[in-house]
Formats: sequence, structure tokens, C-alpha cells
Amino acid sequence: MIRLENVTKEYPGGVKALDQVSFKINKGEFVFIVGDSGSGKTTLFKLLLREIEASSGAIYIEDVDIARIHKSKVPKLRRSLGVVFQDFRLLKDRTVYENVAFALEVTETPKSVIRKTVPALLNMVGLKGYEKKKPNQLSGGEQQRVALARALANNPPILLADEPTGNLDPQRSWAIINLLKDINLRGTTVVVITHDREIVNTMKKRVITIQNGRIARDDTRGEYWHELTHSTI
Amino acid sequence: MSLRTLLYSFSQGIQNLFKNGWMSVVSVMTIAVNVFVIVVFYTVVTNIGFMMTEFEKNIGVAVFFQDDTTEAQILELKAMMEKRSEVYRVEYISAEAAWESFKDKYFGQRQELLAGFGEDNPLAKSASLQISLADISKQGTLVQVLKSEPIVRYVRETRDVTYVVEALNKLVTYVSIGLLIILILLALFLISNTIRLAVTLRNEEISIMRYIGARNMMIRGPFLVEGILIGLIGASIPLVLFYYTYPEVVLQIQKSYAILSDYLIFLSRERILQILIPIALGSGAGIGYMGSRITVGKYLKV
Repeated sequence: MIRLENVTKEYPGGVKALDQVSFKINKGEFVFIVGDSGSGKTTLFKLLLREIEASSGAIYIEDVDIARIHKSKVPKLRRSLGVVFQDFRLLKDRTVYENVAFALEVTETPKSVIRKTVPALLNMVGLKGYEKKKPNQLSGGEQQRVALARALANNPPILLADEPTGNLDPQRSWAIINLLKDINLRGTTVVVITHDREIVNTMKKRVITIQNGRIARDDTRGEYWHELTHSTI
Repeated sequence: MSLRTLLYSFSQGIQNLFKNGWMSVVSVMTIAVNVFVIVVFYTVVTNIGFMMTEFEKNIGVAVFFQDDTTEAQILELKAMMEKRSEVYRVEYISAEAAWESFKDKYFGQRQELLAGFGEDNPLAKSASLQISLADISKQGTLVQVLKSEPIVRYVRETRDVTYVVEALNKLVTYVSIGLLIILILLALFLISNTIRLAVTLRNEEISIMRYIGARNMMIRGPFLVEGILIGLIGASIPLVLFYYTYPEVVLQIQKSYAILSDYLIFLSRERILQILIPIALGSGAGIGYMGSRITVGKYLKV
């Protein structure tokens, strides 16, 4: 599903954000990517979305080498990746319904389909009845649920979540993680970049640890690496 | 652009226009001011041009002939002159017509004073051709041609007036072109800044659209529509102003400079609007579109 082969990303000035990184994430997996600030997690995220290109190596998403696709096909690639951010990135002047519908409108989905899909998505993330509320009327957890509904609107096979619980208290964090688990159970591949040790340790899922731009560990039923935890907190 | 993208761009473009409230008003006013200057400018230039053409038609050369010239020879020359491109109109004034016109002009109501002349025509040898020029700068060449004709006795030309009109004409043309270029550049700069601000305000929206996988046209579309709409609305304001104020302005100028009434001939409002509407709407929409395109382009590096 996602395959990285010796991916190196060097920024101008010689800073190596990623160095010979290789890993494979299979269809239906739930994977945590952990690492210090500046370890290369964000670079990895941007590379997967082809916001930036690798200096060397290859990235395959659903067996397609994303460096080789034409610029005009990049939007199609991005539709196969649902994205969630730490800061939710909702449109503050639009309602919950409009925020989710936005993802469908801009990908040219017919109105009739939008009318059916948005309520189903909101129902799935537990926000039925919140349609007309604006983001500032919601708690952080609720806002992240809207962001999740939006990320899933185009039914992507992969969901990328960058610190999805970074702005939430433990209780709301767990609610979001449980939602991600549900989404994963429905068949979506879920990749979560996080700092949250408790969640990583409790979930007992695969953990890829990045340190100084390299893969430091890749544990199938991993835990937050102690030394790393020590240096992060 | 697919129909769905087009419809989406329109609905979003219009919504953005209202959502941005004051920003849109400022942009519209920027375009309105620019197009207003273009409107005023175009009106002044076309009217001066029109007045000059009218003026040029009234100045020209008068050709007088040798005593033994027959009417047939004069008419032959007239026909020859009429074929020339720089000639606007040739009028043949026979000796009789010249005398009649002279009598009317100088004796008017006191026809009894003319009794002494009886049937004599004191202007018997003064048949002439009055030539008006379409292009006043060619007067010199025309006079040369006329003077080389054996039947021509004397050519009266209005050289000084010609020079002044010609110089004025050139000045107006150069100044108009120069000013127009400056104005368009200024307008482009202003609208580009306005849209840049609008795009910056919606940077978040653009970045989300990109992550979601919206095609570039889908991202650009609403902004381009917004730019064009701002341009069209902005351009309509000076057009409406022009429609209502032009007749009044013309009237005031004619009143204030009654002494120059022979020269102050203005184009009709309708005739100016025929050209002005496409110019104003076209430049408004064009400036809006270009401004948006330049600015949005910078945010769409995939």
C-alpha cells in the first residue's frame, strides 16, 4: 500500500531530513510513526502527499511511483490519502456540514451524492445533530471529528493523521483514537504520527520510530521507545 | 473546465465576493476608479479627435483658375481630386454661386444697394474649388499637385492653422497612449495586490483544497470568477456615472464656452457608449482576471 525504498530528502543547505528510509505499510494496517521534533516526521508526511519530492529513492502508494506521476495527476493521488492535522484546519466561517461537504464539492462530487454522504459521515464520527454548528462552537475533540469526517469524505484507502490528539485532553484523545481504530477496522489503512506515549503503548500496534532522519526501530507490536520517550518529554 | 467546476467556481466566486465584504468593496472601488479614469480619458480623447476631424473638414484649400478655364476643365479637376484619399470633400463654387453668396453675406436685407450691378457679376472670374481634407497633414503635397496644374491660377491654403491642428493631434495621440499604458499598469498592480490579500486571507482554504485533492482549476476557478466579477462590477459604476452625467457636462461646457460653439461639437452619448461599454467592461474584467491569475498562480505550485 505504502512503500518507501531508500528515501533521502536533503534540503538546500545540506540538511538531511530523511536518510535512506525504507519501510512498507500493508493494506489494512494501523501504524504509529513516532520520533522527536525535527526527526523527519513532517518531511515524511509532505513526501507522501507529494508536496515535496525526495532527493533520491522511491515512494510507492498503491504500487504507483509518486515521483513519476504527472503534476496534473497529483490531485488524484491526494484523493487516495485522507489527511488529519493537529490543528484540525477547519474553515471557521462554514458550518460542520459545509466543512465536510467542502471535501466533496472540490473533488467535483454530484450534489445528490453530497446530500447522502455528509450525514452518513457525521453519523459515523458521532456528530449527528451538529450540522449547523460552526467550528468555534465545538470542543477540540468535536472539531477533530469533523476533520476526520472530511478526511474520509472521498473514501480514501489510506488515512494519514499528523498528531491528531496533540491539542486534546486524554479523554478526548482516546475518543479520537478509538474512532481511528473503527475506521481501520472498516478496511482503511491508518498511519498516525504522534508523541502520545500512553496511546502508543496501550494500542499495541506497529510502531515505526524515526530518529535523526533514519528508521531507528520498526516494531510490529511496539511500544514507545524508552530512550526516545526520555529525550522527547 | 468541466460544467461542474464552472458552476462551483461561479457559486463560490459569488459567495466569496459577499463573504469578503469590505475587501470586495475596496477591490470594486479600485477597479471603478481605474475604469473611471479610462472612461473620462476615452471620452475626452474621442471628443477632441472628433472635434479635430470636424475642424479639419472646415479648413482646407481654395483653388482659383486662369481666366480662360472652362467649367468642364474645373469639373474634371474636381473629379480628379475626389479620387485622392486625403481629400474629404470637394465643392465647386461657380462664379454665379460665389456672387450670390457674397450678396447674401454682405448686403443681406439691403438688396436695393445692389441695383447698380444689374446683371453684371463682379466676381465673374472667381469660380473656385473648395477642398476639405480628411488628413490635414497631407495638405502640403496636395497644394504642390494643384499648383502644377496649368489651369490653376492661385491656391489659398491655411498653412498656420494646419500646423497647429496637426501638432495638437499628435500631442493628444502620444499623451493618450502614454497615459493609458501607465493607467493599465497601475490598475493591474492595484488589483493584483487586492487579490493577493484576498488569497492570503483564504490561504487556509487553498491549502485544505490541495490536501483534499482538488484539481488546480477547481482551486483557481472561484478566485478567477471573483476577480472577473469585481472587475465587471467595478467597471459598471463609471459607466452608469457616465450615462447620467455626460449630457449635463456637455451642456455646461457648451454654455461656458458659447463663443467657441462652432468648434465644440461633441459626440452623442450613445455613440461613445457603443465603444465605451466593451472597453470599460473588457478592461475591468481583464484587469480582474489578470490580477487574480497572477496572484493565485503563486499559491498553486504543486
